[in-house]
Amino acid sequence: MNKVITINLGGNAYQLEDGGYDALRAYLETATAQLHGNPDRDEILSDIERAIAEKFRARLSSHKTVVETKEVAAVLAEMGPIEVEPGEAAGAGASGAGTPSGASRQKTAGEERTAGSSGPPRRLYRIQEGAMIAGVCNGIAAYMNVDPTLVRIAFVLLTIFWGTGLIVYVVMAIVVPEARSPEEKAAASGFPATAQEFIRRAKEGYYEAMKGFPDRKARREWSRRFKREMRAHADQWRYNWHSYWARHAPYHPGMGFALPLLSLLQAAATVLLICALISLLATGTVFGLVLSASVPVWVAALLLLIAYGILVGPLKLARRSCYWGLGQSRWAWSFAFFLDAMIWTAVVIALLWLAVHYFPELRDAIRSFPSVAHQAADDIRNWWHGK
Amino acid sequence: MSVNEKFSAIRKGLLEFLVLQIIAAEKVYVADILKQLSTTQFATQEGTLYPLLSRLRREGLLDYEWKESEAGPPRKYYQLTGKGREQLRETLEYWSEINGTVKKLGQK
Repeated sequence: MNKVITINLGGNAYQLEDGGYDALRAYLETATAQLHGNPDRDEILSDIERAIAEKFRARLSSHKTVVETKEVAAVLAEMGPIEVEPGEAAGAGASGAGTPSGASRQKTAGEERTAGSSGPPRRLYRIQEGAMIAGVCNGIAAYMNVDPTLVRIAFVLLTIFWGTGLIVYVVMAIVVPEARSPEEKAAASGFPATAQEFIRRAKEGYYEAMKGFPDRKARREWSRRFKREMRAHADQWRYNWHSYWARHAPYHPGMGFALPLLSLLQAAATVLLICALISLLATGTVFGLVLSASVPVWVAALLLLIAYGILVGPLKLARRSCYWGLGQSRWAWSFAFFLDAMIWTAVVIALLWLAVHYFPELRDAIRSFPSVAHQAADDIRNWWHGK
Repeated sequence: MSVNEKFSAIRKGLLEFLVLQIIAAEKVYVADILKQLSTTQFATQEGTLYPLLSRLRREGLLDYEWKESEAGPPRKYYQLTGKGREQLRETLEYWSEINGTVKKLGQK
């Protein structure tokens, strides 16, 4: 009597005898090491896994469900060793497959592959939902798991004092990809369960459970039910994710008009805040309102930000529900989104222009911008070399 | 050293072009290619063929599409690209030149 191990090859479950499993694992680990440095490594490995799966299948029937050790050996002999292509870096195991160091390195290569598929990686994306401009700060906040407002303040401060915030922002807006698919959105905030990950984990349990069924028919029946449940779960999950961003608002045609209006208000508030902050830091007055000497500047700045948050919070919530409501009609959504973006851009540019025109401090700040940026770059370089 | 051993490096080099020639005739998947080669001096194995095919694809000589199979996982069916056909034509020409040289040399 031999122990049996169930494995997943090319998306299907196979049962191998213990010794056969070890042989297969060793073969795949060597293959991984041999293909080290090959740009198509993962693809070749999955080709090979699929080929092995086909050979196993040819040796199985309804009366024989386990691949024996000697059959695994025969299949692997049929496959033959992985040939390293000319001009491609040979793997770590290519020269020293027999030496201890070669063997241990092969093992890490094999483990790397399995480790790569477990646990969702958190990635930096731009997040449009609830974004102010391009979603950069929103994405960073999700990535670092902090409030987006904090990141925005950091960017504004960076811009005002060192001038670098703006450059960094523009570069990131161009370079950082936007989270579009549900999986990307989940990866952006490091949600533990993306739909894919959820299903993958469930599948592991699926193969475990498969072992418990004595005959094919019961197994098939269970498999069918399992898949149906998984699909329902995934749909439910996706739905929850959307409503996480905006409580499901019903569609109303008025939203198409409300959305640009809300944007307009929010843009105006943002520009007001920027101007107020600049004027506060540069001259100690907010739109001609002189602060009393007892109030420190940072307290005033904080108060401004809080006031801004209170003003803009409901606007943002309303915008989100508009997006969600309009999302049910594709055309309305596209149109509103386009209009919204246009208005945002136009208003921000216009107001900034006005601000620059009427606030000489701002003009000076912008004029000194290149030298400030230069200075900041130098500082960073010195700091880097000093390390 | 037997003739068989002496020619192993040459066989290895030629395999690539035989594979291109097999794929040129019809859409095939790896088991078809292996079967056609198995009765020749160029018999080979998956472990050699998959890395070779992936390199040829990267060089833009061939392409593949997925097809469901009646039994088992879906299969990759390979076909030549325009570039692959061109390369094959050039190689065949060159090969017949070499053949001619081999036959001609040493004959008076």
